[in-house]
Amino acid sequence: MTMFTRNDKGQDTASPATAQPVRSDAQPAASPVAETRRPQAQPISSSSAAHGTPSVSVISKALKITGQLESTEDIQIEGEIEGDVRAVSVMVGANAKVKGTVRGDQVQLAGQVEGKIEAKKVILTRTARMSGDVVHQDITIESGAFIDGHCRPEYGKAEVKAPGLKTVVAGS
Amino acid sequence: MAAFANLSKPQARGRKPEPLPLSQLGAAALVKGVLDTDGEVEIHGTVQGRINADSLILGAMGNVEGDIVARDVRILGRLMGRIFALNVTLEDSADVTGRIFHNTVTVARGARFEGRMPWRPPSYFEALDQLPETQP
Repeated sequence: MTMFTRNDKGQDTASPATAQPVRSDAQPAASPVAETRRPQAQPISSSSAAHGTPSVSVISKALKITGQLESTEDIQIEGEIEGDVRAVSVMVGANAKVKGTVRGDQVQLAGQVEGKIEAKKVILTRTARMSGDVVHQDITIESGAFIDGHCRPEYGKAEVKAPGLKTVVAGS
Repeated sequence: MAAFANLSKPQARGRKPEPLPLSQLGAAALVKGVLDTDGEVEIHGTVQGRINADSLILGAMGNVEGDIVARDVRILGRLMGRIFALNVTLEDSADVTGRIFHNTVTVARGARFEGRMPWRPPSYFEALDQLPETQP
């Protein structure tokens, strides 16, 4: 890094993109480089990329995932997923569609799932459409919810293993 | 393939009253497979596979192994694979290995890039309906 900052010093004054060409000569090498970089980091930015990294995942209605989705945090799904989902808390929104197994500590379903739900706590809201089995410890079914499948209170028992969230590799 | 259709008609999308919602993949998330969206997506977690989007931001904690196809791409994190995009920006924290097929590209001082950056005319991206085979 030190090698580059040394080289930068000479180029700073020549570069039209840098905001403070005069100051960069007078100051120690590291700080003007850091200052002049920041403004450049904004051109396409329209969202939270600049302020910290969120841990919650939001799959919006325009997004479709084909494959496996895992998280050690919460996931909110409004789009379409073909594949398995695993997270601490999964919320499947009213217009969302999941084909596959949804696993988690808590699963709240307002949309459509074709497959299976395995969760400690399952909430099927009025708009839920569930085709497949639900393996749970604690279930709430609101009036209006649709289920085609078995509900078995066997979550955490021998045949159904706990989700094993600790094995999920977080983004590094 | 929806992502490619986007590239050819950006005006049609611009006329829509409400912008497509933002999708975001948190730092704790891992996706193995294909992400396909007509809107904007922010990746802060790990993706192994392919991403089709209109606009993509790969956050500083993000990590993608695979191909990215979009109109605008902004990279702050790690990518191993290829980018096919009209406008590509590598920020100072970017760490990219692979190829960047672009029409315009910006590389911030401090970004790490290893590989090739082939320039392509806009028509290349409009006509792109199958990704070429290359060895990154």
